[in-house]
Amino acid sequence: MEFISPASKDEALDVLGRLGPDATVLAGGTDVMVQYLRGEIAPGHLVYIGGLDALDGIAADGHEFSIGALTPHRRLATDPLVLDLLPAVSAAAATVGGWQTQAVGTIGGNVCNASPAADLAAPLLTADAMVNLESGRAKRSVRLADFLIGRRQTAREPDELVTGLSVTPRQGRTGDVYLKVGRRGAMEVALVGLSTRLMLDDSDRVEAVAIAVCSVAPVPYRASEAEEVLKGTRLEAEAIREAAAVLATSASPVSDFRADARYRTRVLGALLERALRMAAERAAA
Amino acid sequence: MNASIGAAIPRGDARPKVRGTARYAVDVELAGMGHARLLRSPVAAGRIVRLDLEAARRAPGVRAVAAASDMPSRLHGLVLRDQPAFASEVVRYEGEPIAAVVADTLAEAETAVGLIELEIEEWEPVVDLDYAISEQARLVHPDWESYQMLIEGGFPRGGNVVAELAADPDGVDAAFASAYRVVEDAFGADRQYQAYLEPKGALASYEDGRYTIHVSHQFPFAIRDRLAQVLDVGLGRIRVIGHHIGGGFGAKLDLGLEPYVAVLARLSGRPVKLVNHRTEDLITCPSRENALIRIRTAVSQKGEFLARELHCLLDSGAYAIDAPFLVSLPLLLANGAYRVGPTRVSARAVYTNTAPTGAFRGVSGTYLNFAVERHVDHIANELGLDRNELRRLNLLDDGDRLPNGQTLDDARSLHEAFDMLDDISTTKEVGSGGWRGVGTAATVWLTNPLPGSAILKLNEDGTLGVITAATENGSGAVAMGLRQIAAAQVDVLPDQVIISMPDTDSAPYDAGSQGSRTTHIVGRALVEAGEELRRQILSKAAQILEAAPEDLELSNGTVRVVGAPSSAIPLATVALKATADGASITATGSYATASPRYDPTCASGFLFPTFPTPTYHVHRAEVEVDPLLGTVTVLRYVVVQEVGKAINPQGVAGQIQGGVAQGLGYALWEGLQIGSDGRYRQRTFEAYRLPLAVDVPRVEIVLLENGHDEGPFGARGVAEPPVVPVAAAIANAVADAIGAPINRIPITPADILDAIETVNRHATA
Amino acid sequence: MNLTFALNGRTASVDVEAGETLLRTLRDRLSLTGAKEGCVEGECGACTVLLDGQPVDSCLLPSMSVARRSVTTVEGLGSVDTLHPVQAAMVDSGGVQCGFCTPGFIMVLVALLRENPDPTELEIRQAVSGNICRCTGYAQIVDAVIEKARGAM
Repeated sequence: MEFISPASKDEALDVLGRLGPDATVLAGGTDVMVQYLRGEIAPGHLVYIGGLDALDGIAADGHEFSIGALTPHRRLATDPLVLDLLPAVSAAAATVGGWQTQAVGTIGGNVCNASPAADLAAPLLTADAMVNLESGRAKRSVRLADFLIGRRQTAREPDELVTGLSVTPRQGRTGDVYLKVGRRGAMEVALVGLSTRLMLDDSDRVEAVAIAVCSVAPVPYRASEAEEVLKGTRLEAEAIREAAAVLATSASPVSDFRADARYRTRVLGALLERALRMAAERAAA
Repeated sequence: MNASIGAAIPRGDARPKVRGTARYAVDVELAGMGHARLLRSPVAAGRIVRLDLEAARRAPGVRAVAAASDMPSRLHGLVLRDQPAFASEVVRYEGEPIAAVVADTLAEAETAVGLIELEIEEWEPVVDLDYAISEQARLVHPDWESYQMLIEGGFPRGGNVVAELAADPDGVDAAFASAYRVVEDAFGADRQYQAYLEPKGALASYEDGRYTIHVSHQFPFAIRDRLAQVLDVGLGRIRVIGHHIGGGFGAKLDLGLEPYVAVLARLSGRPVKLVNHRTEDLITCPSRENALIRIRTAVSQKGEFLARELHCLLDSGAYAIDAPFLVSLPLLLANGAYRVGPTRVSARAVYTNTAPTGAFRGVSGTYLNFAVERHVDHIANELGLDRNELRRLNLLDDGDRLPNGQTLDDARSLHEAFDMLDDISTTKEVGSGGWRGVGTAATVWLTNPLPGSAILKLNEDGTLGVITAATENGSGAVAMGLRQIAAAQVDVLPDQVIISMPDTDSAPYDAGSQGSRTTHIVGRALVEAGEELRRQILSKAAQILEAAPEDLELSNGTVRVVGAPSSAIPLATVALKATADGASITATGSYATASPRYDPTCASGFLFPTFPTPTYHVHRAEVEVDPLLGTVTVLRYVVVQEVGKAINPQGVAGQIQGGVAQGLGYALWEGLQIGSDGRYRQRTFEAYRLPLAVDVPRVEIVLLENGHDEGPFGARGVAEPPVVPVAAAIANAVADAIGAPINRIPITPADILDAIETVNRHATA
Repeated sequence: MNLTFALNGRTASVDVEAGETLLRTLRDRLSLTGAKEGCVEGECGACTVLLDGQPVDSCLLPSMSVARRSVTTVEGLGSVDTLHPVQAAMVDSGGVQCGFCTPGFIMVLVALLRENPDPTELEIRQAVSGNICRCTGYAQIVDAVIEKARGAM
């Protein structure tokens, strides 16, 4: 195994172009190194990009919010701009492991690891995140929903590097919420995670709503059918009940040592209601 | 009383620990040492069809490879010789060692283990306890009858039953027949992993026919004795050197990796080091056993407990280890802290194709207390009585007896504890609103009576040397307890006390850090040694001062003639003179608690028959349940504990807080589940959820200090029992919050939602 | 591969293998055994060191990734005679039992107090949620900060 530390993004793209599938990209290492040390992956090359400062940073420009791939969770959790404009992303980042993980774990890594339980994925999906990729050949942007194609599978080509994400910040009467079910107060892999972005019109009707969930399917996903149910409502109990039922139908959770499928499905509705109530309160505030 | 007693003096080993310089076994290196790895069984049960070590032997860097043929063929065991050091024909649990490799580097050892050719014909594992004792179950040990029992007179056992206890006093059936009401329950508990932060490790060297073993272990003399048994050599052939211990909680009381480093050191002629990876540590650790309990009680209308039956199946795993002792606990704890009429008990430890279970702080007491105290709440509900009034009605008092016939002469502490509890827990128990609940649990516990000893020597600079094999497992029993007791007894400052690390070559016998015994037993030995040391000091000082010994006083590191302060001489002067005279000042103390009187005919298979130096405990928990998610938050936790005398109140508080945290983990987050393939489902710290700082409330602690006559300065055992009543208190609180019974631990969110749903169904039906 | 980095205020230069973790480099090559291996999964925090002032799990950190960066281990705090205030506070508060987790906790608490000299109890507890202590039940570790170390740095 060879360890390569490209000195620039271009060099990194060059290395990836040359090595293709034989290279594993490494940033904070909190997922890749666990897999490597357990022997679950045996890459020919570890391409360490953690030193590429150009990929690290947060920039807000009007309606465009970009987050560099190497931005660590700790920054997402504490940065005033993110806390203000993407509060659900902040909330999710604050639940990824402990401080040690948040200090080095990155948003790009969390997305590329494509865990069914990826905390950041749910709020990023509700913020219509685009994943920005670059290779020696081309640049492209892919909707996060299209980027996550399966359990630990993404649309990234072996020669591509995720350089960052473009997301839509909260605006107007909008409430963003991320709720995570775990048994302990920290260090939990989500049993269920749910994010919602709720926009109310002046008469408190649901003008727009986005709902995304993790840990209830092979990939985190947008629950568009449940969203449809809620549009135009005033979040009446009946509407939420119906949306919850639609959401539960859309889920295909697994049973594992953390929780069984029945439990995951069962709490989904309660979580949706709780998240919507919180989001409505924030939107109206 | 000397100022050292009852003072919050920082522990003697704290500085190297905060500086990162304290050496644990995993930090020890021996010149020229090789690194070892084990080949462990990948399956829970099967027959070894082929084991070919040749490729491993030829691999680069390999110094030696060991397997069953390198060991004496006799089985070993603590009370039953049922276990091979290496599996050779059959494997009985996942992770069972099959071969060991030592190489120049760890990587080479890993590679060589991978080259071992192993073929196993896999069998359906025996996992379920009820199935294991059924007629159709495969015997985990078909040769069980040939196994040697190491207890005089043996004990009842057979087939997949490792050991069995039975007590059947007169009057049980009659009491049930005429009872006002009979209340019945069934409970279950999963395994709990000790999860000490330092994984098990060991180093060995072999020279001149002697093995030197380096460990971080709670009981070095047990390593000596058990390793001698495994290797079939005399005790004198083994020297065990103890280092700082990165936690043990009972899991580092019996053999671990020592046999493997020992045999590899002999085969390779060079020192060997072996350390577990976390996952192999977790899956092979002698965790607290899983168990099933059925309990029924005959009660009067007033709420008296007229008679009881308790039946317990506990999972011994693939081998016995200490299970023949543990089957006694269901009898000793069947009635908890309460007066109960005649009590029938059966307890069976059962072989399964799972990792052997073993000692964990509080042993079986945690789930037995959970069962008994949940049952008390159930009885209160049945009879419409207040739960605490019911407890106080039946609470043990002075002169009452445990089910073994042992009379308690100090159980009034329980009443005092309940009084204190009622004073400080102002939370209203009923109608506290929302999804909050309160739970209470009480227990009687013991202080382990096994023998201990220590040597005191007055060094030539006036410092006080303590040579002991007592181990500091983190509890502070040595670094606070023994240090302060020695200082107080000889009357020097604690920082003048120098305590040796354990070494079985130089220290007298000690039975290890278990059952809260170190402060009580070794402390008592130090009190005796200290008296003798003082006698020698005063006698020598009398020579120097030309005075009569009885006219002298020893205090604060000096000896003087009473009433003549100017005559004072420092202890260094006394020690130098004594040494020069060929009479250096040393003294030895030894102590073991005499067994309390009990009724040996009360049960069969009763190998662990009494609760010496009893302690008393009442816990109260307040929780909040999230009714939609089924999660639990612990809002408040109160402990009232009889400690006799707190030698160091800060240390005592640390033991109680830490024990409660382990109990909370047991109640709510931990739990090893066993799949039908005999493998644990939780295999990492990500999956095995230990309590974190955000989960554990600050425990409110009240100490009762009704001194114990036999204990050093009145001290009883302290550290083990705080874990015991926690699951019961939490389960009672959760049940109170949701208005439905909780009969399994750990309490999972799914179980809570199920319980709530059951109540709602009843309510709407 | 050669690795050069700042370690406890001095320049360290050491040969490491590709994919080797900082914990192995510190313990096996540099004989700094204060950082402990508890799990190799980033769950227990016993291996915590500071990387450019931030606490990280050295068991998951590729050694090569610290090239030209600054690493502080527990051995880099205080001296034999004078403990760092957080170390001293842990001694006084009773926050040390078996001691195996202690260096990891100390590193996180040092980072916390540098960022936030006056943390609340909840902030302290959240800061150490990536550290497991199996002995103390955490109260006396929290006390070390609340009663002693707060304001001492």
